[in-house]
Amino acid sequence: MDLLIPIFVTLVGAASPILIAALGELVVEKAGVLNLGVEGMMLVGAIAGFAAQFYTGNPYFALVCGAAAGVAVSLIFGVLTLSLSTNQTATGLALTIFGTGLSALAGAPFSARPVQLMAPLFPPELATHPIWRVIFGYAAPVYFSLIMVFVLWYFLKKTRSGLILRAVGENDLSAHSIGYSVVGVRYAAVAFGGAMAGIAGACFPLLLTPQWAERMTAGRGWIAVALVVFASWRPFRLLAGAYLFGLVMTMELYAKAGSGPLSAIPSELWAALPYLATIAVLVLISLRRDGSTNAPACLGKPFMPSN
Amino acid sequence: MPNRLELSGITKQFPGVLANDNVSFAVKPGEIHALLGENGAGKSTLVKMIYGIMQPDAGEIRWNGQPATIANPKAARRLGIGMVFQHFSLFEALTVFENIALGMDAKIPSRELEARIREVMQTYGLLLDPHRTVATLSVGERQRIEIVRALLLNPKLLIMDEPTSVLTPQEVEQLFTVLRQLAAEGCSILYISHKLHEIKALCDTATILRGGKLVDTCDPRQETSRSMAEKMIGTGLKDIVKPDGRAFGDPRLVVNRLSTSRTGHFDVPVHNVTFTVRAGEILGIAGVAGNGQNALLDALSGEIKGHDREAITIDGVGIGSMDTTERRRHGLCAVPEERNGHAAVGDFSLSDNSVLTARDRLGMVMMGLINSGAARTYTGKVIADFAVKALGPASTAGSLSGGNLQKYIMGREILQKPSVLVVSQPTWGVDAGAAAAIHQALVDLAAAGSAIVVISQDLDELLALSDTLAVINMGQLSAARPVKAFSVDEIGLLMGGVHGEKEAQHAVPA
Amino acid sequence: MPFRLEKRPEPSRTMLYLTPAAAVLLTMIVGAIIFSAIGYNGLGAVREIFFTPLTNSYKWQDLGVKAAPLIIIGVGLSIAYRANVWNIGAEGQYIVGGLAGTWVALATYSMSGPWILPLMILAGVVGGMLYAAIPAFLKTRLNVNEILTSLMLTYASVQLIYYLIRAPWKDPMGMGFPQTRLFAESARLPTIIPGTIVHLGVPIAIIVALVAWFIMSRSVFGYQMRVVGTAPHAARYGGFSENKTIWLALLVSGGLAGLAGVLEVAGPFQRMVPGFPANYGFTAIIVAFLGRLNPLGVIFAGIVLAITFVGGEVAQTTIGLPNAATGIFQSMMLFFLLAGDLLVRYRIRRTAVQPSRSAA
Repeated sequence: MDLLIPIFVTLVGAASPILIAALGELVVEKAGVLNLGVEGMMLVGAIAGFAAQFYTGNPYFALVCGAAAGVAVSLIFGVLTLSLSTNQTATGLALTIFGTGLSALAGAPFSARPVQLMAPLFPPELATHPIWRVIFGYAAPVYFSLIMVFVLWYFLKKTRSGLILRAVGENDLSAHSIGYSVVGVRYAAVAFGGAMAGIAGACFPLLLTPQWAERMTAGRGWIAVALVVFASWRPFRLLAGAYLFGLVMTMELYAKAGSGPLSAIPSELWAALPYLATIAVLVLISLRRDGSTNAPACLGKPFMPSN
Repeated sequence: MPNRLELSGITKQFPGVLANDNVSFAVKPGEIHALLGENGAGKSTLVKMIYGIMQPDAGEIRWNGQPATIANPKAARRLGIGMVFQHFSLFEALTVFENIALGMDAKIPSRELEARIREVMQTYGLLLDPHRTVATLSVGERQRIEIVRALLLNPKLLIMDEPTSVLTPQEVEQLFTVLRQLAAEGCSILYISHKLHEIKALCDTATILRGGKLVDTCDPRQETSRSMAEKMIGTGLKDIVKPDGRAFGDPRLVVNRLSTSRTGHFDVPVHNVTFTVRAGEILGIAGVAGNGQNALLDALSGEIKGHDREAITIDGVGIGSMDTTERRRHGLCAVPEERNGHAAVGDFSLSDNSVLTARDRLGMVMMGLINSGAARTYTGKVIADFAVKALGPASTAGSLSGGNLQKYIMGREILQKPSVLVVSQPTWGVDAGAAAAIHQALVDLAAAGSAIVVISQDLDELLALSDTLAVINMGQLSAARPVKAFSVDEIGLLMGGVHGEKEAQHAVPA
Repeated sequence: MPFRLEKRPEPSRTMLYLTPAAAVLLTMIVGAIIFSAIGYNGLGAVREIFFTPLTNSYKWQDLGVKAAPLIIIGVGLSIAYRANVWNIGAEGQYIVGGLAGTWVALATYSMSGPWILPLMILAGVVGGMLYAAIPAFLKTRLNVNEILTSLMLTYASVQLIYYLIRAPWKDPMGMGFPQTRLFAESARLPTIIPGTIVHLGVPIAIIVALVAWFIMSRSVFGYQMRVVGTAPHAARYGGFSENKTIWLALLVSGGLAGLAGVLEVAGPFQRMVPGFPANYGFTAIIVAFLGRLNPLGVIFAGIVLAITFVGGEVAQTTIGLPNAATGIFQSMMLFFLLAGDLLVRYRIRRTAVQPSRSAA
């Protein structure tokens, strides 16, 4: 019990950024767009959030800056794929390369200058007992991610705007012929995905490591993309998947620090585990499927109205 | 009472084509008005302008006597114009209800909308479960969604674009009942088709277009099918030249209990298909779209590889477990329905497209290298022999018109002199001239001793072309019989899944 | 709108070859403006990154050495991307190829002979192929997305290096540094121009590109890659198996990445070190696109990207431009190139004032 509670608290902290980024990507993909630039957008969000926290010390402002930076770079992707109909896979890769370079350039002056971690949302008196820590012991982005799971489920399933977004992702030509603005809906989705990835990126310096390090998101953006597939484009399954990864990453931390049976395994294997686990979950989900996937029918295809 | 819709001097120019040239006609309230013409005659362009998808370059549209500018489909719907498209704009993964809700301009609370949907369905006998996913519905049921969607807006004019091309004769009859009921209530209907017997059965007036120009407005009941066809096509009809008293040779293609397994969620597999085609014989396979035609073509061509070697034999050799390349070597060529992306690669040159299927039969490959000279020469011959309008073997397949591309594809296969040729929808979306040329080429190939299978949804085409006929329904093939032994009603019932006379009484398709 | 896009009846060949050059040019102009705006010497950055490596003959050997792995990997990726197989884990296959070569070099450490180097190269190619076989297997058998698997395997392969050089392969005389011992003479790639660092990998890269160009443009194999990538349905109709193509595409691109890896470890590095993953596998993605997925184009694109690498280092020392600037220039090039693709398929027409507009 004494061990389980800190493990759970760490797990939730590690999972939340992935969950936030994956929720954004889920909306983008539901609109029929495959943005593989999540990792790049997260890095840009991370450095923007870091810089804002460094200069102002206001973590909420830092999250907003992360979101704004994420939106800004996501719009590069939007202009290219939506207005200029470029290949989405290639453009997404380019965005990740770009984001990696941009964050490294912007982050160079901040190396070895720590910032303040974000404090828990609730007053510490509420979380004195270990059990209460499980509920009240987190910073705001954790609660934000949980609320967004519900909000997005409701938006996609119950609202008319959500219906239009799904329609655009299922059959862009039909949506166009009925009179919906396919490109407009997709721009909105891409920008939302950028904001979420930016917030997710800003969580890294604010929640996990209060130092700037190049490529500090370490492939978590790609794991978020994989999780969307794993979750079959359903928000609540995304929650389960993200916490599963949180567990894997927490085990890594404990194995590296501790001296228990876990530490007998080479630390490099632990470090590789999240990536291998990603492959494993993709394999698992593919075994479960009976021919049909839940993927939006237009995912990744450029929209080309003929007349 | 003023005319419901009146067009005067409508003209629309596209790069290189005059799609509509000074077209004028009027539709009265409660009238069922046919718009008749060949593919490419300008019917679709004309209705797109009425529905606000395009704007005319010149001319005037009057609505109930008032000049009207129809800026977009929304404006058209506000006026009371509804349209049911030929290719449904439906969302497969969404429910019937969600599809209809997406098509509504006004925001109506879900519960109220559902009540209205059920009311319209009741009134017109268009029964559907609003909460079913569209992907699970038949084509006829999907069309009902589109009609319900249009009727919810209480239209004063309903445009139907080639509504029967995918329906069984019985479903067509049901549709006509709905349309007549609507017309009796005062709704005008603009009915676009090139099927003459339907127009004679349904419409009060017919406007005939040819090459973008209005040829005639007439009363279809006073015309014969032939007289309307001649107005539609222009020069007198050319019949297929079939040598009389043809005798068939030995069986060339024998298919014995051929089955496929379900590959995707929405595919219809074939089950225990058995037939024989003799040298010189053309077997027609009729059926409504989505009844296993694609699976049958793929299973014959080898795109779906079977396990039973003897399920398909050519001249006695079992090819049932071979892949497409081996089957071609054994003399079986095939042409699938979809031209772009299946039978041909739009981005490739015609020469490269010849390599796709003719490389082995015509020796275009030596030690793994492609002899591009041989491919060019062969392509040039196809272009010349089949009068394909193309700049040359180097022009891309995508730059050809539909009819010319189809002529090229048919030529590419026919000039390989296959023992067996299987084609699907050989003249789909092809102009009359090209269709006649393709039909004649098929007949000539049969006369030279090949066995031919034509899968088509166009009954007129099959009746003109085939020697024997069979009907496919839900993946099962009826017994083949000489084409003269069938009545159209009988084919219709078979297409709807009714086998044998007794069951015909309760043959109401779901 | 005074301009509109009109679809070309045929893709423009002129634009196909013009847009990469235009992309490089635009990158220079926009790059100069952006870097000036954020307080660097923008013009100087462009000069140092794009021109100094060319004008300074002393840098030419660096160009060759940097371009070789980029070209070898880029050729492989251009073949895979033609087939619409998105292998983005070339970096991982490069690493495993390097590790396989290292394994041979360490196992034959006490031996000598001309057979060692070819054996290492073979091991590198096979290593890269095997690592690429994992996504191929998962894609063809289980339809698991190859983008994600190949990339995840790259992250895992980096940890594999760290483990091997920390524990079993650690140099016993290395004073605790995590690295292998220096390869024996027979396991080092010879230089071909005495007095320079230009090694055998440079001519190998050119030969690989030429052979690949011939195969892709003339053979049934090349046709298969193109037709499966362009129109998978038509390819099946024409008798080409999609699964076989996925396997071939991944094995070829993985094998070539492995080749680049072993040449790199036996040439410039001559031992396995933590800094071995040098991002060649990711940069080669840009190379493949900039080269228009054409092996001959890849040679030029590889040289252009090598120029930016070498130039980036120059700019770092001469005008204090951070190393990360190189990545920004490189990805900008890819952005402009992708945007320029529009001009291959469409032409821009000035529109007269039209009374109507189409709904498109």
